[in-house]
Amino acid sequence: MVVIALLCTLAHRLAADDKRERIDRELTAFERAFTRQVWELSNKRRSDGKPPPPDRMREVMQSLDANSELPLEMRDLFDPSAVDSTYLAFWDNHGRLLFQSANAPKDLTLPKPPPQDQEYSLRLYESRRELVHIGPRGFRSLVGRDISADKAALRSLALQITGCGALLWLLGLIGGWWLAGRVIRPIDVISQTATRIAGGNVSERIDVAKTDDELSRLSHVLNDTFDRLESAIKRQQQFTADASHELRTPLTVILSETSRGLKRERSADEYRDILTTCSLAGIRMRSLVESLLILARQEGDGQSQPSHGSCSLLQIITETLLLLRPLADEKETRISSDLHEVNCQGDSRALSMVAMNLISNAIDHQQTHGEVMIRLRSEEGHAILEVSDKGPGIAEKHLPHLFDRFYRVDPSRQSNGGHSGLGLAIVKAIVTNHGGSIQVESQPGAGSVFRVILPLDEAHLS
Amino acid sequence: MRLLIIEDDSLLLRSLAASLREENYAVDTASDGEDGLFKATSFDYDCIILDGMLPVFDGWELLARLRNTKITPVLMLTARDALPDRVRGLDNGADDYLTKPFDTEELLARIRALIRRSAGQASNLIQIGDALIDTAARTVSLRGESILLTPREYALVEYLARHLGTVVSRSELYEHLFDEDDDTLSNLLDVHVSNVRKKLGADFISTRRGHGYTIEPST
Repeated sequence: MVVIALLCTLAHRLAADDKRERIDRELTAFERAFTRQVWELSNKRRSDGKPPPPDRMREVMQSLDANSELPLEMRDLFDPSAVDSTYLAFWDNHGRLLFQSANAPKDLTLPKPPPQDQEYSLRLYESRRELVHIGPRGFRSLVGRDISADKAALRSLALQITGCGALLWLLGLIGGWWLAGRVIRPIDVISQTATRIAGGNVSERIDVAKTDDELSRLSHVLNDTFDRLESAIKRQQQFTADASHELRTPLTVILSETSRGLKRERSADEYRDILTTCSLAGIRMRSLVESLLILARQEGDGQSQPSHGSCSLLQIITETLLLLRPLADEKETRISSDLHEVNCQGDSRALSMVAMNLISNAIDHQQTHGEVMIRLRSEEGHAILEVSDKGPGIAEKHLPHLFDRFYRVDPSRQSNGGHSGLGLAIVKAIVTNHGGSIQVESQPGAGSVFRVILPLDEAHLS
Repeated sequence: MRLLIIEDDSLLLRSLAASLREENYAVDTASDGEDGLFKATSFDYDCIILDGMLPVFDGWELLARLRNTKITPVLMLTARDALPDRVRGLDNGADDYLTKPFDTEELLARIRALIRRSAGQASNLIQIGDALIDTAARTVSLRGESILLTPREYALVEYLARHLGTVVSRSELYEHLFDEDDDTLSNLLDVHVSNVRKKLGADFISTRRGHGYTIEPST
C-alpha cells in the first residue's frame, strides 16, 4: 500500500511539474513573440535590423489595438471577455504603463523586478501564473494566465490516480487473500486428516494429490509416520488378541480344577493331582506369555535390538547342541553335524533361539531312535544353516502356513509338550530381522529340512 | 445321563471329565473332530460338550455334519467369543454357547438346562407321587424327608424321571448310566432297581417284562 501511495504521489508530482513547465514556456514564448511583434511594427519603416528606439516602441505600444497587425493568437489581448487567455502588460523603464491587454485582470500593478542578474521571474498569484520580464532598456513586461482550468485538470488527474491506486490496493488485498487461502487450504487438509487419524481412524492417509508440490513432501513424511503408527497399533492388537485367546484354555483348566477341588473334602492325593494339573496349566501360560513377548519384540520396529555384534554361528550351534544333549539322549536321537566357521552380524541370543527351536523341533517330531542332521556352511556371501530330520514329514498343504502363529500340523501334539505353537513364528521373525530368510522342504514319510539363510558378516570375510 | 466331551486340550479334557463324573454323569471323551463325530453319531448322548478349535476338523464343521443325523443337545465351549463365531455356532445347530474361561457351576447348570429341555420338562423339580426329585441338587425326598441314594441309584432315578411315562430298555439304561471307562457288569442294574424300590416304594419303578423299566407319572 505504501508503495502504491508513493507511486501515485510521484505520478502526480511529475504531471504537475510538467504542466507548470509547459505553462511557463508558453508564457515566455508569448512574451517574446509579443516583443518581437512590437519591434517589427516599430521597425516598419526601418530595415537595418537594430532594435527600435524606446520612444518608438512606446508609441507603438500605446497605439496597439484590435486592428493592429498582430498574429492570431494575440487577438485575445484585446478581447475583454477572453479571461482564460494569456494577458500581458508592459511598463517602461519609468514605470509608466504602456500597454495592458483588455483581458488582463483589473488589479494588475507594476511588478517588482526579478532579482539581481535574472531576466525573468515567475510567480504564482492566486490562480494566475505570471511571468515578469525586464528588458535591457528597463522595460518591464508581465505575462500571465489564469491556470484554474489547469489546476482543475490536475486535481482531476490526482483523483484518477488515487482511484487507480485504491483499486490496485484493493485488488492486491483480494489477490493476497485468495493466494493465502490457496496456501492455507492444503495445510488445512493435512491438519484435518491428521486430527482424524489421531482420533482413531488409523487407516486413513493424507491424500497427496490434494496438496501442492511444496507440501507433498510433508504429506509423504506424515503418511509414513501414520503407516508406522498403524502397524504398531495393529501389532499391539494382534498381541492382545493372541495372548487372551491362547490363555483362555489353561485358565479354564485352573478354574475348573480349583472349583472342583474345593467342592468337597478330598484326599491328599486328589489335592496333589489337582495342584499338579494347575501347575502344568500355569507353566503353559508362562511359556506362552514369554513366547508372545519374544515374538512381539522381534516383530517390533527394531527399537529393541540389543547386543548387535558379530556372532559365530558355529559357536551358537555347538552350545545349543550341548544344551539339547539330555533331550536327545532321552529319545536316543542320533545327531550328526557338518559345521564350518561362519559369522553373522546380529543378536546372538536371538540366533541361539533360532537354533534351539529348529533343533529341538527336529528331535521332538520323531519317535525314539530318530536322526537329526545339522549343516552349517557359507556360500556366496550367505550363511546357510540346514536342520533336517527323518521324521514323519509335513504335507504340502501345511507348508505355506507353517510359520504362522499357533499353526498346528500334528493334532496329537497340540499344546501338551510345552510347545506354544509360536516356535516357528518366532524363528521366522528373528531370521527376517537379521535380513535373512527361512525355507522348508518336506515330504510326508521322508522327513523335513529347514533352511535358514543369513547374510555373512562382511568384516569377518577378510 | 451320559455325556460326550470333545476337547483337544488334554488338561482341560481330564478336568472337565472329572468334574462331570463327580456330578454323576457318565462321561465319554474325544480329542479331535473326527473321533468326536464318530462317537457322537454312534450313540445318543444326553448332551455333547463341544470345543470349537479342534484338530482334523473344527467344532463348527463337526456340528454341521452331526446335525444331518442327530438331535443331541450340544453345548459349544470355545475361546472364540467374537459375535460371528457365536452366531455361526448357534445357527449351525449348537443349543448353547459358553466362552472360556467359564465357571464350572455355570457349565453344569447349562447342561442341566439342555437335558431338561430335551426331555420336554420345564423344571429341575420333578414330582412323582410323594417323591420329589431335585435334579439340580441331585436329591430325592419322600413326603418332605430327604432320602439318601447312592450316585448310581440317583442316576437311575433321574434317567427314568426324565423319560417319565416311557419304557426304557435295560440296554438303554445301561448305556446311559455307564461310560466307556466303566466295566461294570450289566446285572448290577437290577440291584440298583431293587435298592431304589426299597427306598422309594415298590411301585416307584415299574417293570415291563421283556421291554424294560419305567416310572409312571403321577396323575
